[in-house]
Amino acid sequence: MAENIETASYDALVIGAGIAGGEAALNLANNGFKVLLVEKDLSIGGKMILLSKVFPTLDCSACITTPKVSEISRHPGIKIFTGTEVKKIQKKSENNFEAIVVKAPRYVIEEDCTGCQLCEQACPVVVRDQYQYNLVGRKAAFIPFSIASPRVAAIDIENCTLCGACEKVCPTKCIDFTMEAVEHHVNIGTVIVATGFRLFDPLKIPRYGYGLYKNVLTSMEMERQLAPTRPFNTVLRPGDGKVPDKLAYVLCTGSRDATVGNPICSQICCMYSIKQAQLLMGALPMADVTIYYLNIRSFGKGFEEFYEQAKGMGVNFVKGKIGKITEKENGNLILRYEDINESVVKESEHDMVILSVGVMPNPDAGGFFGEGELKLDPFSFVHQTDLLGSPPETSIRGVFVAGTASGPMDIPDSILSAGAASSEAISYLNRKQ
Amino acid sequence: MEAEKGKTYKYLREKREVSEAAKENLKNFTRVKKSILEALKEGDMTIDQLAQKLNMPSSEVVYFLMTLIKYGFVQTGAIDDMDEYFSYKLKQ
Ligand SMILES: Cc1cc2nc3c(=O)[nH]c(=O)nc-3n(C[C@H](O)[C@H](O)[C@H](O)COP(=O)(O)OP(=O)(O)OC[C@H]3O[C@@H](n4cnc5c(N)ncnc54)[C@H](O)[C@@H]3O)c2cc1C
Ligand code: SF4
Ligand code: SF4
Repeated sequence: MAENIETASYDALVIGAGIAGGEAALNLANNGFKVLLVEKDLSIGGKMILLSKVFPTLDCSACITTPKVSEISRHPGIKIFTGTEVKKIQKKSENNFEAIVVKAPRYVIEEDCTGCQLCEQACPVVVRDQYQYNLVGRKAAFIPFSIASPRVAAIDIENCTLCGACEKVCPTKCIDFTMEAVEHHVNIGTVIVATGFRLFDPLKIPRYGYGLYKNVLTSMEMERQLAPTRPFNTVLRPGDGKVPDKLAYVLCTGSRDATVGNPICSQICCMYSIKQAQLLMGALPMADVTIYYLNIRSFGKGFEEFYEQAKGMGVNFVKGKIGKITEKENGNLILRYEDINESVVKESEHDMVILSVGVMPNPDAGGFFGEGELKLDPFSFVHQTDLLGSPPETSIRGVFVAGTASGPMDIPDSILSAGAASSEAISYLNRKQ
Repeated sequence: MEAEKGKTYKYLREKREVSEAAKENLKNFTRVKKSILEALKEGDMTIDQLAQKLNMPSSEVVYFLMTLIKYGFVQTGAIDDMDEYFSYKLKQ
């Protein structure tokens, strides 16, 4: 390993290049600071880059994310490492942190890849595409998705059969199977944790049948079906390719539910479900969409109007608690639920069910520093030590938190939080001890 | 072993065993691809018809068929009178 160690210094280390981390890195770099932006995935952009449109304006998500992502990737003050994880960070003194980050081999020399996709065409291996939430396949030599940044190929070495077809066709000879992991030892002045959130795993609620019944989807799978770069030609049931016409949303799947270990509200699911319902009515004009909810939480700017707009378009809202979902032979789904207003148990049939899965903490954040140094809150999000006075502050002076790493929030709030974290980080850097 | 540029896969082959799961996955995809393309040579088909002919679950047919559309082997044809199921055909 010794020959694969590189050293460097930066003013700031930003961990996670979703919208929050990207925004924080941009703010720092625009103020003249040198930033290392470390992203675990093969592309920057986080969850936002994979969304269809965004509430409450229904702007195209890719259209907002792409210019931002290209500004981040072209900024001379920002060095981006994708496919990279933070192994350890140690605070030596104020404004002096040492971090070890490990960049996994991509097996493609990023600077030389033109994104021509010839390797992808030549590769014989097909596996499920994680960026399309497994709805369709991708090759083992692949560009993660069309608007990925960097838009360069990667080799999925676990599934690669080392046939060499990709390497033979690559016009720039940039595929390189000799690549190995590189450990970077970096000195930095401040750290921003922007590692985002994880989606609730619906397998934890077996009575909803996710995984077993193929026409029960998660909201993220539906986001992909509604995006311009969708997996199918239109919205289809993954179970049998039928165009659905009676869809149901189950709000609060894995949120406000102590039985699955997540008693808090995820804050975004009501609104993204209302958004998707509106988009579905546009994509499938004959379809009925019903949203089963406990309470609709439309607290943000323009949210109540957005909710009213959905009702006006004919989205059906039922205050009901889902007990169980069962499947009929034709793939339709029977929802057994308690109608809360009438206090009776009812059943209804739908041909597709979307589980509005909640926001869960990303446990990675707790592992960057020494045991217990970066404190987590009771729900395992990064603890904000001065929530009212200075929300980005954490239990370590000089380490700040941005976006959903500190708790559920939508895109505008993630950007605001990144603004606050970067300005706190700048103050900290300028207040040199 | 010195790795020759353009043939570095040979270098990794010496150092790393390709897993049985990866080999099996490739075999399965190649087999299913061949059988879907053969079936569609006889004419347009719906997912249900393909599932019955190939004796495969419909959900698997959806996954493989959509992948074959993505990589330009198959294209979507007409939808039925009820606007429910598309048929699929070989890409010309
Ligand atoms: C189905 C769905 C629909 C949504 N629709 C909307 C909408 O219409 N409007 C809206 O405002 N919001 C919407 N949201 C919410 C929105 O996605 C979030 O608010 C936003 O993505 C949060 O950004 P983030 O940067 O905090 O987190 P993320 O997007 O999760 O980004 C975190 C980044 O950190 C990286 N990372 C994680 N761990 C590590 C590590 N250890 N090392 C390095 N990198 C790491 C991740 O790979 C990722 O790139 C939706 C969410 C969902 C699930
Ligand atoms: S060497 Fe691997 S990635 Fe390249 S074409 Fe063969 S299977 Fe695909
Ligand atoms: S790795 Fe080579 S063949 Fe593949 S996209 Fe890049 S330049 Fe093209």
